[in-house]
Amino acid sequence: MPPLLEIEDLSTFFHTEENIVKSVRHVDLTIQKGETLALVGESGCGKSVTALSAMRLIPTPPGKFESGRILFEGLDLLQASEVEMQNIRGNKISMIFQEPMTSLNPIFTVGDQIMEAIRLHQNKTEYQARELALNVLHQVAIPSPESRINQYPHELSGGMKQRVMIAMAIVCQPALLIADEPTTALDVTIQSQILDLLDQLRKETQMSILLITHNLGIVAQYADRVAVMYSGKVVELAPVEELFSSPAHPYTRGLLNSLPKDGAKLETIPGSVPHPAYLPEGCSFYPRCSEKLDRCMKEIPPLESIHGKSSQQTACWLYETTPTS
Amino acid sequence: MKNLLTVQSLKKYFPLYGGLLSKVIGQVKAVDNVSFDIHEGEILGLVGESGCGKTTLGRMSLRLMQPTSGNVYFEKADIFKLNRREMASLRPKMQIIFQDPYSSLNPRFTVEQIIGEALSVHFKINGKELREKVESLMEKVGLSSMYLNRYPHEFSGGQRQRIGIARALALGPRYIVCDEPVSALDVSIQAQIINLLQTLQQEENLSMLFISHDLNVVKHLSQRTAVMYLGKIVELAHTEQINKNSAHPYTQALLASKPSLDPTSRKRPQPLSGDVPSPLNPPSGCHFHPRCPQVMKRCKNEIPRTIQLEEGHQVHCHLYDE
Repeated sequence: MPPLLEIEDLSTFFHTEENIVKSVRHVDLTIQKGETLALVGESGCGKSVTALSAMRLIPTPPGKFESGRILFEGLDLLQASEVEMQNIRGNKISMIFQEPMTSLNPIFTVGDQIMEAIRLHQNKTEYQARELALNVLHQVAIPSPESRINQYPHELSGGMKQRVMIAMAIVCQPALLIADEPTTALDVTIQSQILDLLDQLRKETQMSILLITHNLGIVAQYADRVAVMYSGKVVELAPVEELFSSPAHPYTRGLLNSLPKDGAKLETIPGSVPHPAYLPEGCSFYPRCSEKLDRCMKEIPPLESIHGKSSQQTACWLYETTPTS
Repeated sequence: MKNLLTVQSLKKYFPLYGGLLSKVIGQVKAVDNVSFDIHEGEILGLVGESGCGKTTLGRMSLRLMQPTSGNVYFEKADIFKLNRREMASLRPKMQIIFQDPYSSLNPRFTVEQIIGEALSVHFKINGKELREKVESLMEKVGLSSMYLNRYPHEFSGGQRQRIGIARALALGPRYIVCDEPVSALDVSIQAQIINLLQTLQQEENLSMLFISHDLNVVKHLSQRTAVMYLGKIVELAHTEQINKNSAHPYTQALLASKPSLDPTSRKRPQPLSGDVPSPLNPPSGCHFHPRCPQVMKRCKNEIPRTIQLEEGHQVHCHLYDE
């Protein structure tokens, strides 16, 4: 079965007055139908830009797609017309954002905002749209949807707003839901409610989820496969069990080791992430890497399968079996 | 162990204005009758969700905010009864590290000015002596003293938090309130800062109130943990007891909703239903009762009292009140 979404060799750069910010560099990713792919990495590593590129929500200029294709149902989203994109956004691919407080329009009711998506993408009467909105509010477990549908965002708590965002995103039954840090702004007890809801909706509707997060606990609990990004590149791609049991890339290992465990001193990754406009030549992780080789400084490692498995891939010269040319 | 700081029945009620004449129409009980103490050389973790009063409590323990009632004793002095001069002489012993390393440093000051300001105000140190002192502080927190004349915008988040730590350490404090010091930082940087705080705490035998919503960080750092819900401490115990034998249903729910790092075990207990209620209008009786899976009849009407379960383990819950 062909994948639902196929990102091939995507590069998204931002041309500013002073320099070129290379946010996403030659990224390859696929998302299968019904799976949750987690995109993990630290702030500024290109997670969000990758997702926004797939929605074609990058402002151009200053943004520019330097290379690549994003195939969705046989259509290259990077070449699609604006009208084609409008038909896809909020309909076949939809997105929920980190801040439910700022992503809802404060002057429209919850119902208006959900019905907007229905009116744009489906041929429904006002009455039918309202019924559908009530249904979807019920589906995301909002108590007493009949009264909530007439409320404004400020009357809802953070967790409720995020449920409304999810309701807006799934009302047209998208094939792909992009969730960009959906619970970072929420409290711990609310976080698991929202993630359980997303997981349950995924199982019910067979949609795929691209889950962007920096929380490795969330990844362990909700993802099927994981892509670890570092300064604009995917450095490791693996099924979730393999990523946690045998992380390959030194950065992935460093991340997992730097999580608080009982008592013992935490292992750290020295230094900090390079600025995406001033990347080192070669592997961008080498200045912080404890296992760097000579060639890491000059050549960028490709993302390749390791351990003879096709499922786990990493971009690191440590796993290179063929001799240096 | 000797207590460095003792907090007794501390309350902070914020008045709520409304109506035509902006009269007081209610109050927000941000901190409601909280008591605890911090031993010398101890890190006390304070966990809770947003709006539960963690930060208000931390600031009152430094007298950065006046309480509605209650007392805070620091080395036996009742800090709210001290006059200006007496308080000023106590200030160097109590410091704070803030959450946001971006907004808590003055953008127009150089690193030297930021770290050195308190030294020149309190200890009248100037010139070369001040510079040497600042340089040694910077080295202590892992910053090169080359950066002495740089401004905050030239640093990354982790480095800025190091500047904030150096500033807090400058006067040789005994007690530091760490208000979510690593929440704004990336995972790999978090570990650096946590290690730094731990090393410094051990070297100088500091006492800390470590405020966080991240249970893993608190578990890693603190000897004892206090759990707060809507203005009240619902459970206080040794960190080990909290993690192994937590008594309060809210603590248990918090621990259960923490995502586990093991992808092979995805058995998740039923998470808490409902939202955190608004502190404007908290539920009657035990504030947690509308969300509590083990709610009883009396929880709706009676405010639970402090129950001592065992040495150093206290809980506010009717389940343990025979």
